[in-house]
This record gives sequence, C-alpha cells and structure tokens, in this order.
Amino acid sequence: MAGTELEILKGITLEIKSGESVAIIGASGSGKSTLLGLLAGLDEATAGVVTINGTDLGALDEDGRARFRGRYIGFVFQSFQLLPALTALENVMLPLELQGQSKAAEQAEHYLRRVELGARMGHYPLQLSGGEQQRVALARAFASKPAILFADEPTGNLDTRTGEHIIDLLFELNREEGTTLVLVTHDQALAERCQRRLRLDSGALVTE
Amino acid sequence: MTATRMLARDWRGGELGVLVMALVLAVGVVSGISAFTTRLQSALVQESHRFLAADYVVSSGRALPQEWLPEAETRGLQQAQVLLFPSMVYVGEDTMSLASIKAVNDDYPLRGALTYSTKPFGDVLPTRSGPARGEVWLDSRLFPLLHVAVGDRITIGEADFVVAAAARTEPDQGSSFWSFGPRVLMHYDDIPATGVVQPGSRVEYRQLYAGPKPALEEFTRWLEPQLQEGQSAVDVNEGQPGIGSALDRAESFLLLAGSLAVVLAGVAVALAARRFSERHHDYVAIMKSLGATSGAVNRLYGSSLLLLGGAATVLGCLLGWALQAAFFLLFADQLPVQPGSSGIRPYAIGATTALTCLLCFAWPPLRRLGQASPLRVLRRDVPLENRRAIGDYVLGLLAVTLLMWWYSQDWQLTLAVLAGLAVTAGLGFCLALTLLRGGRLVGMSAGSIWRLALAGLQRRGVANALQVVIFAMAIMMLLILLLVRTSLIDEWQAQLPADAPNHFMVNIGPEDVGAIEQLLRAEAIPSEAFYPMVRGRIMSVNGENLPATDVVQEDRRQRESNFTWSDTLPVDNQLVAGKWWAPGTDEALVSLEEEFAQRLKIEVGDTIGFLVGAQPLEARVASIRKLQWQSMRPNFFLILPPRLLASYPATFMTSFHLAAADKEFLNRFIRTFPTVTVIEMDIVMEQIRTIINQVSAAINLVLVVILAAGALVLVAGVQASVDARMHESAILRALGAQRRLILGGLLIEFATLGLFAGLLATVAAELSVYILQSKVMDMNYAPTPWIWPVGILSGALLIGGLGVFSCRKVVSTSPVTVLREL
Repeated sequence: MAGTELEILKGITLEIKSGESVAIIGASGSGKSTLLGLLAGLDEATAGVVTINGTDLGALDEDGRARFRGRYIGFVFQSFQLLPALTALENVMLPLELQGQSKAAEQAEHYLRRVELGARMGHYPLQLSGGEQQRVALARAFASKPAILFADEPTGNLDTRTGEHIIDLLFELNREEGTTLVLVTHDQALAERCQRRLRLDSGALVTE
Repeated sequence: MTATRMLARDWRGGELGVLVMALVLAVGVVSGISAFTTRLQSALVQESHRFLAADYVVSSGRALPQEWLPEAETRGLQQAQVLLFPSMVYVGEDTMSLASIKAVNDDYPLRGALTYSTKPFGDVLPTRSGPARGEVWLDSRLFPLLHVAVGDRITIGEADFVVAAAARTEPDQGSSFWSFGPRVLMHYDDIPATGVVQPGSRVEYRQLYAGPKPALEEFTRWLEPQLQEGQSAVDVNEGQPGIGSALDRAESFLLLAGSLAVVLAGVAVALAARRFSERHHDYVAIMKSLGATSGAVNRLYGSSLLLLGGAATVLGCLLGWALQAAFFLLFADQLPVQPGSSGIRPYAIGATTALTCLLCFAWPPLRRLGQASPLRVLRRDVPLENRRAIGDYVLGLLAVTLLMWWYSQDWQLTLAVLAGLAVTAGLGFCLALTLLRGGRLVGMSAGSIWRLALAGLQRRGVANALQVVIFAMAIMMLLILLLVRTSLIDEWQAQLPADAPNHFMVNIGPEDVGAIEQLLRAEAIPSEAFYPMVRGRIMSVNGENLPATDVVQEDRRQRESNFTWSDTLPVDNQLVAGKWWAPGTDEALVSLEEEFAQRLKIEVGDTIGFLVGAQPLEARVASIRKLQWQSMRPNFFLILPPRLLASYPATFMTSFHLAAADKEFLNRFIRTFPTVTVIEMDIVMEQIRTIINQVSAAINLVLVVILAAGALVLVAGVQASVDARMHESAILRALGAQRRLILGGLLIEFATLGLFAGLLATVAAELSVYILQSKVMDMNYAPTPWIWPVGILSGALLIGGLGVFSCRKVVSTSPVTVLREL
C-alpha cells in the first residue's frame, strides 16, 4: 500500500548450527513464511543480514542467490510445487540438471527408490496422490545433497497418517544425509521432533 | 532440462498450439500471397507485352531501315516485320470488298498468339504463326460478303491466294479498332507479288522486337537517336491490358488481406505468448527456487521460442507455397502466359514476419519470466512484473506497421488499416469500460444468472475492456475483408453482366437504322440505342492552332475523333465539371470526356475549333464527363447538341449481345447489310470474364485463410481469460451452483463481450472500408446496412459460443480437479 510501510519481522537474531534441526512455529500471519523466504534467500530483507556458510545473502543479486540456492539449499513445500508437465523422475532430475550434473537420472532414480516410488517414476504429478507427490518433493530436495533443507508446512496438505509417514521419511533422510533442517509449521507434534523450537509471535521471535 | 523436452511437455497446455498455428498462418498467408502477386505481376507484364505482340515496336508510314534487323539479331533479340494497308479484295470480276490487310512474316507474333478458326465464326484455335506463303486468312465477316469458303481463291492486286482459315484475333489488334474494313492476314513475302504497295501508298510499316530486358534496353538506346520524323517507337508501358484494373484491385485486396493476416497473427501470437508466460510463472518460480538463474530461464525459453519459430517458419513457407500453387492451379488455363517464378523474396518476407512476431510479440512476455520472483513458491500472490508491457505494445505496433508497409509497399493502405485499429483500440477501450459499468447497474435488478454474469464483467473491467478491443480488432478485420471482397466482386460482375453487349456494329447508314432495329427485335437480340457518329478533327483550342503531325509523341495535337449528338447525358456517364445543355439548344456547345480533355489541356469554357469533312465548326466546352469504358456500351469522347450536327453526314453505331450459339446470325446479317461493320468482342470478353471469375475464387480462398487467422485470435483471446473464469466457476460449483446457472452466466458474460466487440468492429470496419475504397482502391464507397446486424450478432454468437466451449470442462469435471489443475 502506498505510504504505509509494513514491518513484518522485528529484530530477529537467530543462529542455526550445521546439522541442527530447527522448527519455527506460530499462528497464521505471524510471519513464518516471510522469515523462511528470507532465510532461504528467496526474498530480500529491507534491513538486516542473512549469512549462510559465511556468505551474506544480501550481498548477492537474484541470480547469485539462485546459484547459491542450487548449490546449498533444498526445499519441501506445503503445496508440493512439482512441475505438472514433468514426470516424477524428471521433477527430481530438475535441480541436478540445473547444476549441470551428468548422472542426474541415476541419482534421481536412487532417491525415488529411497522414498518407495521406484515403480512410479514415469507418472505425472496429477496421477499421484498427495502423499506420493510430497515424497517426490522429498526425493527432489535431497537429490541435490543440500547443506540446508527448508520445509514449509510439509504436512499441511496431507491427512494425519500420510503426514506422519512423510515426517518419518523426512527425518530419516535428514539423518542419513546429515542435512541442516529448518522447518516451518504450526503442527506441534512435528515441531516436537526437532532439536530446537522457535515461536514467532507478531513478527518477534521467542525461544520455547 | 532442454528446450525440446520442455516444448514436447508443454504442447498439452494448448497455448503453444495457438502460438505455432498463428505463426504458421502468418508465414503461410504472407509468403503465399506475396508469391502469388509476384508471379501474377510477371504474368501481367507479359500480358501487356502481348498487346504489342512484342516488347518494342517501331512504326512508320515509309519503309523502315532494314539494317536495324540484323543489328537486333546480333544483340540477341527476336524480330518480326508487319505491313498494314487497305486494299480491295476480289473474287472473280464483280465480287469485292475493301479490307484491312496485315502482312506478317513467320516470326510474328513475338509475344502472345494469333487465333484462327477452320470456318467463319467457328471454334477459336491458337497458333504461333500466321498464314504460309500463297495463303490468306480472312475475317469471318468477309466469307459471306465475298461468298467464299475455306479452300476457295481470292485476288489481292495482281496475286491470287488460297483462303486457308478464318482470322479471329491478333495480339496487337486493339489499336486499329474502327479504322479500316475487315481483316485479311497474308504472308509478308507475298507483298511484292500483289504489286499494291507503291511509294506514296497509305501503309504502315512495323518492326517488332522482343528479347531479354538488358539487351532490349541497350538496343533501344542505340536505336532511338536514329529515329527520324515519321518514325515512332512504342514500348510496353504504353499498352495497357484490359483486365489490368481488375487485377490491380485484386492485388490491392490480396495485399490488404496479407497485411491483416500479419496483424491478426501478431495479436494471436502476443495473446498466446502472454498466457503461456502466465501459466509458466509458477514453473519458473520453482525452477528458480531450485537454483535456476534468470539467464538460464531466458536461455531455456529463448531457445524454445527459436525452435518453435523455426518449425513454424518451415511449415508456414510450405503452406504459403501450397497456397500460391493452389491459386495458379485455379488460374493456369486462363492465363494467356505462363507465370514466372516468384523467387525467394516471398518466403524471406514470410520468415521475417515470423521472426518479427516472435521478437516483438512473443519474446517480451517470455523475457519477463526470467525476472519472476522465486518467492512465488511460498506466496502465490507475487505478481509478474508487467510494467514494461506498454512499451512492448508500442514496439509491436511499430513492428506491425513496418511489416505491413514493407509487405504492401503502400502507405495509404497501411494507414487505413492502422486508422481502423486505432479507432477500435482507443475509442473501444473507453466505450467498453463505460458500457460494462453501465451493465452492472442494469444487472442489479435482473435475475441471478444475469447478476452473476454482469458482476463478473465488471469485476474484471479493465481486462474485459482489453479483451473487447482485441475481439473487436479481429472481427473488424474480418468485416473489412468481407466488405471489400463483396463490393469488389459485385462491381466486377456489374461491369460484365452475362448479357453485356459483346458485339459492336458501326458504319450503319441512316437509311438502314430502322431495318436493323427491326431485324434485331425480330431475332430477340438485345441491343443498345443507335448512336449517330460524325467523324471530325480537332484543329484549335481558344483560337490557337494545334500541331498537325500525328507522329509527334505529344498529347496536345490535332486529333481525328468520332462525335455523337445527344440532348441527354448518356447512361453511365457522370458529369465532373460544367453543366449539361437544355434539350433542343441552338448554342454551339460540346461535352468532353475527362481524360481526353486533360490530354488536350482543355477546361470548361474553352472554345474548340473542328473540321468536319471540309467544313469548319466552333463550339464552347459546356461540360466534362467521366465514362465507364468497361461497360461495352458505345462511348464517345465528344458529344454535341443534335441541332449543331444535324447538317453533317453521319453514320450510326450500336452494340448488342449475341450468344455463342447464335453466331450464325452474323453470316445472314452481313449478307443483308454488306456495308455495316460488325466488330466481335465476345472472345476477349469471355477471356476477361474467366480471369475475373478465377481472381474471385482466389480472393475467396484467401478470405477463408484469413478467417482461420481471425478465429485463432478469438480462441487465443478467450483462452486468455478462461483460467480466471474457470476458477470462479469451480468455486461456485463447489457451493452448489447448477450447471445451467454457470453455463448461462458464462454465456451471457462472453456474449456481452462479443456484442460490444461486434458493435465496435462494425463502426471501425465501416470507417476503414470508406478510407480503403475511396482513397486506396479507387472504388465507389457505399454504406452497407447489412453489416451492422451481421457484425454485432456474429460477435455475440461467436464469442459466446467459444467462451462456453472453452470453459465447458468446469461443469463436466469435479470442482476439486479444476481447482487443482489451475
């Protein structure tokens, strides 16, 4: 809106250590997604600094951040965000191809088998159930071996049983790959499984 | 991910199909029409050469230097010789007739063909050369006059000849239309034997030349300085084919159609690309979140576009080639000459059109994809940066203007179309917005279907106004083509109705008029009125004597002409200056034909001095008239009041229609009235009629192709708004709305848009057609009331139908599926 500046996040200082798993919880509109966007380098902060592995994200332009994301960051989204025109296999291959990896197909197949979708590699997202789509997204997130995985309400669009299964898979993979995990959710049970929980309240951060 | 793979996967989306189809049609129509007109022009140039029977003709009343012929030979030119003279033709002692003899050598004609028939007025056959030595061909009407048949002998001067055939047409007969008696064709080498051509005889020598243009130009440069008084040279620019103006307009029409195809294709491409980019916004956001840079995104979409463009260009060129091949398939038999090759230019124009469309219409929205924010993976409401869209449209408009101009080489045509577009776009947008808002007020009190539909219209007011403008432009262009095509074809057909006069009768003595009138009536042969004809010579203007010689190539000189008298302005004649005289006037007045007056630089009020027979006559110019030369009715350069000419000797003329089956009548007629000259125009007219029919067929073919381009724009335009409407309808359906309510609402919404678009289109089309017909195509503009209901209703029905059809899925699949797919 013209003339009105909206302050969404206020004075947040946060450090996440390598290999750590952190849950950010809070009510709708508390600023969770905004914080995640900033931490993952999807968005630019109007003030403040985000540093990952010694790199100041604010010093990079959008293309620089894109390259950085490709190399260090993985995502799992609430709405899966698979490309509908690509098969499950092609979706998982996408980040690997973007990085120019030569054995993209092999690696993608490996991760799809890991999430128990070895038989459905040629299916398109619309032919898969919600849980299956989220497993493809998990395979895609881990296939590029990111240093940090950001998950935005990964169970938000799934029923409880399927959600639990996805969470089990997520933490298993996280353990195997030694990835740093930053998870945004309002699901208390999910948050409990993280090593650290932070609550966002009207843009301010409170450690639980 | 490679571009090819992305394209293969995206094909299902639909907008790629529209984009490719639009490009293919643009390239196809542009290159096809361009190739067609190029080839037609080459045929027309040859056609005009045909009217000289050569590329270059030198003529003189005295023998021409023979050394010019070998000189032309060494320069690689063909040559032929022709000698024209009047002479009596005898059969035995007492049967004779005055004839116009044309002696030609074996190489005549160098361009075009002679026609003959094996019996008088028989079937017309083409041939490449004239009679052999010792033989003659006679004009059909000479057979009854001389009481001879093919195989009989006739005498010219001191030599006897065998009648070998009936002479029907010569490529270069046009100019000596009335002057002499019936034609006799003979061999050039037989002239000395007849002994009739002596020094001082009234003869015309001609040397004909033809060959490649550079050699011909070199030759004429060499020859022209040597021309002496009495020798004149004519090249093709001075001979105009009779069907020229019809084909010129057909060409204007085709160029117009091609230009509109460019615009339509540009709009369709822009719409399809815009929708493609909107639908790919999420893809790009995901790719960017996964590490794709804007450069990588641009490379991906850029190479996809190039691939698409390349494929569409190849397909389009093939389509264009097929189109022009189809045109010539329609034409082949009717064209007097084989059309030349079109060369590569038409296809280069087609490819450039595709490239321009891609660069100016498809690339800008796709380029913005590279700037899409990856944040959209978290927040769906992040919009695509569209600030530069206005700049894109300006660029696109400029590109289209240049393309249209490059293509038609005609600023007036380009500007007329642009004016129509500007009116539609500017006025249309404001009007549409106002009307759509007004619609809401009406809708408040209407039933729920209407309320739903009108609320939808108003909610997306600006987007809808834009959509109305785009629909209107497409409909407008189709209406323009339809209107111009219809009036073009109507005008041609009006000019040459099936029962148009196809024979002229001249040299009718006053004493024969009544008898001939009676005979024609008895035989039920429709004829025009009988016009008196007085032959005279224009000697002076405002007391100043005009130069006498006929040889000087100057417009303002003494001229031999036919006058007629009349108290009323003839049908088809139109006064452009001055006033028509009161019937029965005693004043010495004259009315002139427009171009004739221009050539002599005469205006209303000037005084002209004539010589009729040996008697001088002076008259003041009372009016200047415009004639319809194509009407095949008797037309005159000069008309004087009856009282003024009453005392001078006159003959009469008329024209009449004779069906091919009734040609035998001419034999009987000529025996009864041997002094009357009948001139056959039916062969030439049939040729013109056939060509015009073929051109009309070609024009209809083009219209169909353009209709397809227009339909594409409509489909692309509807598609552009389908997503948002589908989304809303799915929500309504989830809330329990009936199929009838949703489809009814959609139908009303789209039909209302179509109604406004049709209204706008009709107004703009009338304006453009007015400019086009009155300024560009030299036609008479007449308002066309039928276009109003047609334009408005077809707009509503087309858009309404297309809209409902595009959204039909919303009622046949579950709302969840619809919402998930969007």
